Amino acid sequence: MKIAISSLENNENSKVSDRFARTEYFVIYDHEALSFTSIENTAKSAGSGAGGKAVKILGDLGIDIVLVPELGPKALEALEAFEIKSYQYPREKTVREVLYLYFEKKLPELLISTSKGRH
Amino acid sequence: MKIAILSGKGGTGKTTLSVNLFSYLNKATLIDTDVEEPNSHLFLKGETIKEEGVFKKYPLVNDDLCNYCGKCSDFCNFNAIIPAKKKVLVFQDLCHDCGGCALVCPTDAISYIDKEIGKIIYKQIDKNKLFLYGNLTVGEISGVKIIETLKKSTQNEELLLIDSPPGTSCSTVAAIDGADYCIICAEPTPFGLSDMKMVVELLRADNQNFGVVVNKSNLGNDDIFKYLENEKIELLERIKFDREFASILADGKLLINHSEYFKNKMANIARKVLGDKYDQ
Repeated sequence: MKIAISSLENNENSKVSDRFARTEYFVIYDHEALSFTSIENTAKSAGSGAGGKAVKILGDLGIDIVLVPELGPKALEALEAFEIKSYQYPREKTVREVLYLYFEKKLPELLISTSKGRH
Repeated sequence: MKIAILSGKGGTGKTTLSVNLFSYLNKATLIDTDVEEPNSHLFLKGETIKEEGVFKKYPLVNDDLCNYCGKCSDFCNFNAIIPAKKKVLVFQDLCHDCGGCALVCPTDAISYIDKEIGKIIYKQIDKNKLFLYGNLTVGEISGVKIIETLKKSTQNEELLLIDSPPGTSCSTVAAIDGADYCIICAEPTPFGLSDMKMVVELLRADNQNFGVVVNKSNLGNDDIFKYLENEKIELLERIKFDREFASILADGKLLINHSEYFKNKMANIARKVLGDKYDQ
């Protein structure tokens, strides 16, 4: 199982981002290997449709779960189509902290979009 | 002859100038290409003679033919098409209708279907005056296609006035494309001058002939006049601000019917740009 977290920097001790699709980095936790990796988010600079593009990047990496601050309707639709579940974290935490919260089942699953989406 | 009226800054008087110049001339066609917020029609009384839809195409993917190669998605600059696990996502409102995804699809899985994005309304104002305006449906991403359709529908008109959208982006570029002359309607404020400079840059890059009408010329400061002199740009006319004008406009009335001053200004502009052929 792989979990991606929207992050301001490229490691597990960094603060989580307050954007999903236009975050700086995704930190990826591999629960089988118990290891962290990260990728720079190339969807960040998309002129439009960053939500769908970010989800495609994560889907192609075989991500199963994303931890996010909020989601627009297109990102949510794309996550469903890639069969990726999403959970909402509170602001101002670190990647490691929100991951603990996820495993403690303290993060709500997102089933409807939380923002209208932005251009 | 095609004359575009544009401004950069909103609220300088494009529509006021357009509808009054149009009404002053003895024969002309006017199109309102500010399809996001059209309002020339509020000043022009006439019978609606036709309404037609404007459509854009967006991709429809045949799942039986698609092999999920992702070439469409790599090609699309707007992320409007994304192959997921068991279906291809199409975000209609992000699609710019370029046709690229079908071109790059190796299995011919993509066809296109029409979506109405707005309307064009035709009004006969009097026997020598035709007026068209476009109206973009709320939520649609671009009015360029409606503007292009407005232009195409009126391409053979003898004298066409084009009331353009504000700004200097795609809509404005589409509105002024193919014009023989552009009239910048400016105002002598810091904001008016700043935005007008962008318009001048656009028109020069597009090799357009143009002149400037300074509206509300007794407000603001002199910077705009110094700028026009330094840049050797023709000042076509100055039109003063008058509270009475604002009051007439607020009633939805044409200034040329209520102000000799304003009517004379329209006559001067018409003569400078068109000669005397279209005089009343």
